[in-house]
Amino acid sequence: MRWPAYVVGTILACSAAASCVSATGRADGLDVSKLPEAERADYAVFAQRCSKCHSLERPLESGIDSDDFWVAYVEKMRRMPSSGISPDDTVPILRFLHRFSETERQRKAHPAPAADDAGPTRAADTGVSP
Amino acid sequence: MNRAIVALVVVVVSVAVPLLSPPAWAVDRTFSGSAQLDYLFVPTEKGANASAIGFDGFTTEANVKVAADISQHLSANVKLCYGCHGFEADMAYFDYRVRDELNIRVGRFSPSFGAFNVRHDPANHGLSDKPLPYDMGRMLRRTDWNEGVLPSPFPDNGIEVNGTHWFGEWAQLDYAAYLVSGFKASENALDLDFVQSRSTYYVDNNSRPTGGGRASLTLTLSKTSDATLGASGMYGTFDPMNRLTYGIFGGDFSMRFGQTNLRMEYLVRRQEFDTSDASLFKYPIASKDGNFFLKHGAYIELEQPVSGRVTMLGRIDGLYRDGNVAATSELLRRSDVGRATFGSLFTIERGLRVKASTEVYKFSDVDPNGRTVEVGFHLAFVGVF
Repeated sequence: MRWPAYVVGTILACSAAASCVSATGRADGLDVSKLPEAERADYAVFAQRCSKCHSLERPLESGIDSDDFWVAYVEKMRRMPSSGISPDDTVPILRFLHRFSETERQRKAHPAPAADDAGPTRAADTGVSP
Repeated sequence: MNRAIVALVVVVVSVAVPLLSPPAWAVDRTFSGSAQLDYLFVPTEKGANASAIGFDGFTTEANVKVAADISQHLSANVKLCYGCHGFEADMAYFDYRVRDELNIRVGRFSPSFGAFNVRHDPANHGLSDKPLPYDMGRMLRRTDWNEGVLPSPFPDNGIEVNGTHWFGEWAQLDYAAYLVSGFKASENALDLDFVQSRSTYYVDNNSRPTGGGRASLTLTLSKTSDATLGASGMYGTFDPMNRLTYGIFGGDFSMRFGQTNLRMEYLVRRQEFDTSDASLFKYPIASKDGNFFLKHGAYIELEQPVSGRVTMLGRIDGLYRDGNVAATSELLRRSDVGRATFGSLFTIERGLRVKASTEVYKFSDVDPNGRTVEVGFHLAFVGVF
């Protein structure tokens, strides 16, 4: 077996794995189609700016639910070199994170029934509004 | 052994303190980390055993990081890593930020150099291996090449002044200037000693800091695209007697269109060596410019998500070395290596990903079996929290 065969084999294996993974599991970000129309623009700015250096699971799984802390956190990210997060970008990003945190707080306060927990999604994946 | 115990205690305390802290702590502290288990398989080596030319088999990179905002101006970061070298403090520093444009960093940190190291965590990269200019320990024939141009990460003790400024909403200018201990090597060494540079004692070997800096400009082209252009450099001495210098310089450019990322970098290291003992070298020492070598490295990388859970990646990178070599070296006066990598990143669950890639190496030098081509497969699991 020569090296071109290895490369072709890898491409085929990756394609097969991609098909399997695409059919199951959960993406790093939220499902935009399940977000309320009015919130999609804010999420789009968040998803674009906050995935340049790291995946979206970093903020979404951080467990932060305080608006004051989000302000400090986003400011810190904005100051990172080459962040591309402008001062104006922080407004829709913080607006999205406020709604997301609110949903997370409600989810923690009123956990879904056990049967619903069994699925791959949870409240945050179905949109940031209750 | 004592070091391992101390490091273990520090890791346990780092993990336990945030978990056991009262909820109020969450207001000004964050705790994060990642772990990557990678398996490298090299089928082109006899018996698929590449231990003579690289670290095949399993390798693990793991880290935990605690960031604390002590006041509006003062913050602290501590990051502990575990990798092939064992435990290492990758970060342990304070930031005192006077304003966006002026931040003073003191402690142990990776000085600002290049674009790759900005996304320093393995979980932030789609491929298991680093680009060859930044390779540390993963490239095949690594001993012959003595790693890349600037093996990453490169934590060091020192002070850095940095800052950022936005011009309206469309341009971000960043700068950094630093003094750190610098790389090390023994007297009469022919190259930097990266093991000595990152092992006990964690002190300067020549009482002279290495200086450097970086500047970058990021332009916001639209709501979904931006571009960054950067330049970096560092210069210092590495031998105990302060006679031999090294200088590393680089340029980088990256663009983002939607979720598509295009990244490219070029690095070069000018490395002096001691020529007092000609018997140490493979070639006669030239009377002009015979006391240094140049090591160039570059890569171009394209990252393209194809669905919410699958990202495809391609990278072409290489190294070129020009200069005299040790008498025992497999390299020639001019040697190069090129590599093409194709890979995928699969998100299994938010916080858990699989990386798979194939890399094809083409060396200019023939190995003892007459081969110039090597192939490597990487399969890695990455967890993030």
